[in-house]
Amino acid sequence: MRVATDIGGTFTDLVYLNDKGEIFVDKDHTTPGNFEEGIINVMNKSRINFSGIENFIHGSTIVINTLTEKKGDKVGLITTKGTRDVLEIARGNRPDLYNFNYKKPQPFVERYLRKEVTERLNYKGEVITPLVLEEVTDIVQSFINNEVKAIAITFLHSYINPIHEKLVTKYIREKYPDILVIASHEISNEWREYERTNTTVLSSYVQPTVSNYIKKLEKKLLENNVYSNKYIMQSNGGMADFQEAKNNPIQLVESGPVAGVFGAQVLGNLIGESNIIAFDVGGTTAKCSLIHNGEVKITTDYFIERDEKNAGYPIKAPVVDIVEIGNGGGSIAWIDEVGALQVGPESAGSYPGPVAYGLGGQKVTTTDAHLVTGRLSAKNFEYQVNIQEINKILKRDISEKFNVSNVDAALGIIQIANSNMLNALRLISVRKGHDPSDFSLIAYGGGGAMHAAYLGRELNVKKTIIPNSSAVFSAWGMLQSDLRTDSIQTYVVQLSSLNREVLNEKWNELIAVNSQKLLKQGVPLEKISFTKYLDMRYVGQEHTVKILVPEELIFDAQNLKLRELFHELHEKTYQFKLEDSDIEIVSLHLVSIGEVDKITLKELDHQPLNPSALIEKRKVYFDDDGWIQTPIYNRDLLVREQVVLGPAIVEEKQTSTLIYPKQKVTVDNYGNLIIEEVVV
Amino acid sequence: MNVNPFILEVIKDSLLSIGEEMFIALEKTSMSPMFYEALDYACGLTDHRGNLVSQGNGVTSFIGMLSPMVKTIIAKFNNGKDLSEGDIIIINDPYQGGGSHLSDVGFVMPIFYKGELIAFSTNKGHWTEVGGMDPGSFTNNSTEIYQEGLQFPGVKVFEQGRVNQGIIEIIKSNVRLPDQSLGDMWAQVAALRTGEKRIQEVCDRYGVDKVKLSIEKLLKQGEEYAKNALKKLPKGTFYASDFIEGESFSKEKYPIQVKVTITEEKFICDFRGSHPQVKLPINCSYYGLMASVRVMFLAIIQPIKEINEGVFSLLEILVDKGSIVSATRPAPVSMNFEARLGGADLIWKALAKEIPHQLPAGHLLSVSSVLISGPLEESETDFLLVEPSVGGWGAGMNFDGQNGQFCMGDGETYNIPIEIAESRYGVLVDEYSLIEGSGGIGKYRGGLGVKRVYRALTDNQRLSIRFGRHQTKPWGVNGGQEGQNSNVIIKRRNGITEPGSGIINNIDFHKGDKVILMTPGGGGNGNPNERSKEAIESDLKNGYITSQQAQMMYSNQ
Repeated sequence: MRVATDIGGTFTDLVYLNDKGEIFVDKDHTTPGNFEEGIINVMNKSRINFSGIENFIHGSTIVINTLTEKKGDKVGLITTKGTRDVLEIARGNRPDLYNFNYKKPQPFVERYLRKEVTERLNYKGEVITPLVLEEVTDIVQSFINNEVKAIAITFLHSYINPIHEKLVTKYIREKYPDILVIASHEISNEWREYERTNTTVLSSYVQPTVSNYIKKLEKKLLENNVYSNKYIMQSNGGMADFQEAKNNPIQLVESGPVAGVFGAQVLGNLIGESNIIAFDVGGTTAKCSLIHNGEVKITTDYFIERDEKNAGYPIKAPVVDIVEIGNGGGSIAWIDEVGALQVGPESAGSYPGPVAYGLGGQKVTTTDAHLVTGRLSAKNFEYQVNIQEINKILKRDISEKFNVSNVDAALGIIQIANSNMLNALRLISVRKGHDPSDFSLIAYGGGGAMHAAYLGRELNVKKTIIPNSSAVFSAWGMLQSDLRTDSIQTYVVQLSSLNREVLNEKWNELIAVNSQKLLKQGVPLEKISFTKYLDMRYVGQEHTVKILVPEELIFDAQNLKLRELFHELHEKTYQFKLEDSDIEIVSLHLVSIGEVDKITLKELDHQPLNPSALIEKRKVYFDDDGWIQTPIYNRDLLVREQVVLGPAIVEEKQTSTLIYPKQKVTVDNYGNLIIEEVVV
Repeated sequence: MNVNPFILEVIKDSLLSIGEEMFIALEKTSMSPMFYEALDYACGLTDHRGNLVSQGNGVTSFIGMLSPMVKTIIAKFNNGKDLSEGDIIIINDPYQGGGSHLSDVGFVMPIFYKGELIAFSTNKGHWTEVGGMDPGSFTNNSTEIYQEGLQFPGVKVFEQGRVNQGIIEIIKSNVRLPDQSLGDMWAQVAALRTGEKRIQEVCDRYGVDKVKLSIEKLLKQGEEYAKNALKKLPKGTFYASDFIEGESFSKEKYPIQVKVTITEEKFICDFRGSHPQVKLPINCSYYGLMASVRVMFLAIIQPIKEINEGVFSLLEILVDKGSIVSATRPAPVSMNFEARLGGADLIWKALAKEIPHQLPAGHLLSVSSVLISGPLEESETDFLLVEPSVGGWGAGMNFDGQNGQFCMGDGETYNIPIEIAESRYGVLVDEYSLIEGSGGIGKYRGGLGVKRVYRALTDNQRLSIRFGRHQTKPWGVNGGQEGQNSNVIIKRRNGITEPGSGIINNIDFHKGDKVILMTPGGGGNGNPNERSKEAIESDLKNGYITSQQAQMMYSNQ
């Protein structure tokens, strides 16, 4: 049995797969302060046989919450002489261009806890000033006096030669075993000292909290006789065992959300779709990510608290490339200072929530607009919906201002929300040089199914898929994941002077380190596999294109094949190539997978059509056609291979799927809904 | 035409995102650090008359330069009639269109839909090289524009999609780093074409008439926003004067002044009476001034989400012909940001007390440019480092000034990481730190200036530097003190220290020599005696202030 638990703000989700390949879902309240209680509660509630668990997988927002709520521990930073202020100067940028009251992000370590050591390497990694190790003693002593709980170390050029970082780390670990220490080379081997320093500092900042959290969870599981393998989801879409997660906690920064993208990749494999746009609509935000040729894109260009007005904090950890916008079911509709209708990013949250909840919400949201247009019905809510109240507020705040009917205003809200989502989806697809008609849209989360059919049509994707149990799809994704590490090593070299032996040596070093990591986590050698990528660019450019290095790639004398691959991908991404320019490698990216045994999903049985699947017909308001009497179906009663023509709505416990006129929906072998355009 | 108002909003969203998309495309593909680290460029869409509709912007200064550039091209090509589909025009003339200096090279592309001219796609970016007397085309001692580089008066570099090879060859043989400059040009052209393609797609989807209506609405909304913002501003006439700094050692200073008049309908900036243009490259043209006055206007009417031509319809600028802030040919303008930002800072200074919630005390003001060139270690090729510098910003009415930020004329500008600088250029960075005590004290303290020390790793390098505020200091407000001024010191390897200054003209810089660059600290805000004890203690503990500064504040409490 594989069990996945995902802790959210309100609920702790549980999804598990029994040995027959059947899936079960449950949820219980999250227990802040003692999250492990909530996990055991939901497992008890679902009556799982604890000792029958083989793999326990956990998704957690502990890292991101500790960072954004600033609840981590006091950190001391040690840097190269002359560079302790790098963390504070940061990059000097002002994204809110015209705001002269702009405030830059405050560093996580105050200036008096940032100390310098005499040592220096040059850009080639050669020591030009030897390390004066004796200076470290006083520094650590002053940290102890100031109640520092974790120490971060970042020296210049350590990405190419970590010798001084290693010496200082070893010294502190031996002499002061009670203090947690992280050196930059242990988590990031890319150049740019500010980004690397900040990543290291943030890792140290969360490490004591994360260690405690995992220790408590482990203890609780053992008390309850769970002797299984225990894993945590990392931001790269793979798992790590508990020890590895404690060593490198920053890898958990996007532990939850990435699992959905990874789930989309697995689902794609299952049903034969390798090009996928994964699209997740929650209460506050919508997230999307592109999967091309079965590959989830991993990047280290990740920030927290960054938006169009704030520089945020860079974290150079491998994270699934996700674009997030402030548009979800609870997004509030409002009129801006120039009289234009806007939706989001402010959300009504779960309390008071949309007007529909009747909990005192006084601002119209996307969910309310779905009700007014008949796309949702009052029966879909656990609350007593007061439609008069929604209409009253909608009229007062929106309709009267534009002199339109309430239903047109509600449709306007949906259109603006769709437009926002569409722009995000275009950003990751068309604008990166991909043709959406080669892709399938997989929509999940509470609100994905409501917008998916429209977005799929506008994007012109091949088909739109609403997966089975789409509302808990992220946890579903966890059940399917393997152990994974991503190592990125900056290594700048022009192809014209590339020495293949040196390159191979670099690969072998990375392979050795990562095999070791996976072996330590109990993966047998034959289950470990590697994929190589090169980040490359034209000489003189800054940004790189990531090239998958095919296993059969032959490194001929001029690296012609590699050049060709690069030119091709560059042109696809940016609409031009420079065949006369030399090309350089900037970094090596090694993906190491430790495969875990999985359970195959079970196909649905063939069954005759069930007439009671049709719940009712009701009036639904559509963009071009106005009100249409629309059939409403119960998803649980639709059978394998059943086809329903649009317009239609398919309802399930936590979400509803809207199908437009001239579309059809088919139930596939696994119960997924496949929406396609009807070609006349 | 009766159109659903929400569809117009949806079209508007598409138009706005096109500006951003062009911006990102350019950043990702450019070849020079000025583009990708400093993001010293802007992209925009205008309507068929050249009115700015949407833009993507990295530095503030370019916001006002796009539409005058397009309008110049429309006028030059027979009111647009001599423009065809696939044409791309290159222009960098500072005195006409969107001129700052020759290094900022602009492109304009007419966009046609079914044969009708409906819009323009345009961008402007800082090329690392456009030729001229000094490497990097950053010229500190030019006396006329002809020394500053190659001039593009607005000519077709593409005609109906076909490249004019002649122009390419002229560029190749007139600039020092043709690969970089032409690489940037290709990136700019690609971004223009992205804009063209996207506009045409939007017309395909919604119909060209609705797109036009949406553009009209967008411009109208901009004007409405500005009108409302003006209502909230204090009415009256406000004055300020200051200096543009000349050479360091002669201590020359040129007075400039402004009279800002705010009425119910207009925001008028009158720079008449400022010093006449000079034979130093610190002049700016009228268009340069207009660009930075527009930036200042946007800062005053913050927060604003969508910036287009409509927003600027209430703005009026008055100048004398041929002044230091409205120079005419052939005045040199290579370092035009001195006059350009100086002019905008006057408006800031005049209004800081009037709208304290919008404007903090004075900041480093200057782009603080650094240029080092010369041979690399173990390599045949030369390097060229061009960068702006970070310094202190002024304190606000309820917060301390920011430490180490780029000036108002920059924006989404990034400093060059030490590890990248050392990998690419023949220098070592010995120090990058905050300057203790450099912020003006006050109830709220000015932000700290920054020290950066470069050491040459090879012989025969050249060094050019222009730091503003080396004679004058960033101003305080409401009793807050001035910040420390800038300073640049050369330490030769033989131990000789050359006297400090703010400006260095193309001097020798040899292996083992050091240059110590110190940018200004920001002005303080409010009476220093009112600073809280906790704030003073925290500043002392963290080394943000000197003990003398602390004593000064304590002793008066």
